[in-house]
Amino acid sequence: MTDSDLELIHAEIDGELDSRQRSELARRLLAEPEVRAVRDQLHRLCGRLETLEQVEPPAELQTRILTALPPTAMLTRARKSMPRWRYAALFAGVLGAGALVFETVRGPGPATSEMTGTMAAGAPVTLDTVSLSEGPVAGRVSLYREGTGLAVALELTASAPVDVLVATEGHTLRINGLAAESGAAGSQVVALPGGMKGQPVELTFLMSGRQVGSARLTVP
Amino acid sequence: MKEEDDPTLVLRCREGDRHAFEQLVRRYQRPVFNVALRMLRDRQDAMDVAQTTFLKAFEHLGDYDPTFRFYSWIYRIAINETLNALGARKPLTGLDGEEVDGTPGPERQADGEQTRRAIEDALMQIKPEQRSVITLRHFMQLSYEDMADILQLPEKTVKSRLYSARQALRERLLQRGVDLT
Repeated sequence: MTDSDLELIHAEIDGELDSRQRSELARRLLAEPEVRAVRDQLHRLCGRLETLEQVEPPAELQTRILTALPPTAMLTRARKSMPRWRYAALFAGVLGAGALVFETVRGPGPATSEMTGTMAAGAPVTLDTVSLSEGPVAGRVSLYREGTGLAVALELTASAPVDVLVATEGHTLRINGLAAESGAAGSQVVALPGGMKGQPVELTFLMSGRQVGSARLTVP
Repeated sequence: MKEEDDPTLVLRCREGDRHAFEQLVRRYQRPVFNVALRMLRDRQDAMDVAQTTFLKAFEHLGDYDPTFRFYSWIYRIAINETLNALGARKPLTGLDGEEVDGTPGPERQADGEQTRRAIEDALMQIKPEQRSVITLRHFMQLSYEDMADILQLPEKTVKSRLYSARQALRERLLQRGVDLT
């Protein structure tokens, strides 16, 4: 039994023998009982491997995957591939582009850097999501945790620029001009201060200074 | 409804369409889960690997080169994640990554369920890199070209590894008294 014999046997299993190799293997099978035995065993083994069926993944797998998807990466990619964003230059914050207006409306609070800093590393977990389907602003807003930080992801479609007020306990973050061309998605991620357990995040959507919608996200 | 092909879905994902990624998850969760399950032999671990695989794919979609097949790319992530998971397990292995066989003496194995279990046991006793080629070739029915893409190895190396893997598996089964005649 040589290495060459084994190569011929494996190539035969894979259906890759040419006529010369087939003849060579046939000659070896006749001459060597050991080659014959190993060849039969390998054929039988591979045949049995092929009969092992795939199993269905647990039903909850898809939900688990989709729930754990972070908005961050997708939005980053989207930004790269959507130069037509008319209003993107107005934005700032975690994804950093344009002007972000931050105003503290009541009480002391964390520094602005805490509100707009880079999210810590770690697998993001979606905590709450609200879909917007009525009114002039449509899309989805999500609250998620990444590392020790919290963030709100806004994925909105509107026919005109939308200002968004993101209000947490004692602070309001104002994003000016979030929207995109008609029919296209406009997106933004806003980092929030940590330690907000049980507190709501109130979102107010404004067009030309007039409220056109609202949403509430809750930190569990 | 007509199913969109992988390049179209990837393009839509890159444009911010999460629904397109959901379709990719639906399309590939089964093979990804099965690759992990065959190599880990633990449903919970396979679930974790499948989840991590798709999260990594999602995060790195911008790095994916669409001139390559999407399934090769996602299988590559799955294999790497599975090997990582195996590496993180407490070692039940002896030298050269070969697991210690705790089975006392030869067993008489009948066809069917017992043979399936014997093969699964034997698979867990060969080296992880051997297990990966057996999984891709015999469970996922992939070609050598696809396997070379996924493992980022020359086809010749893949063949050589598969040959060794079959041999190792055969020897393990014979040691366990499984009748292969």
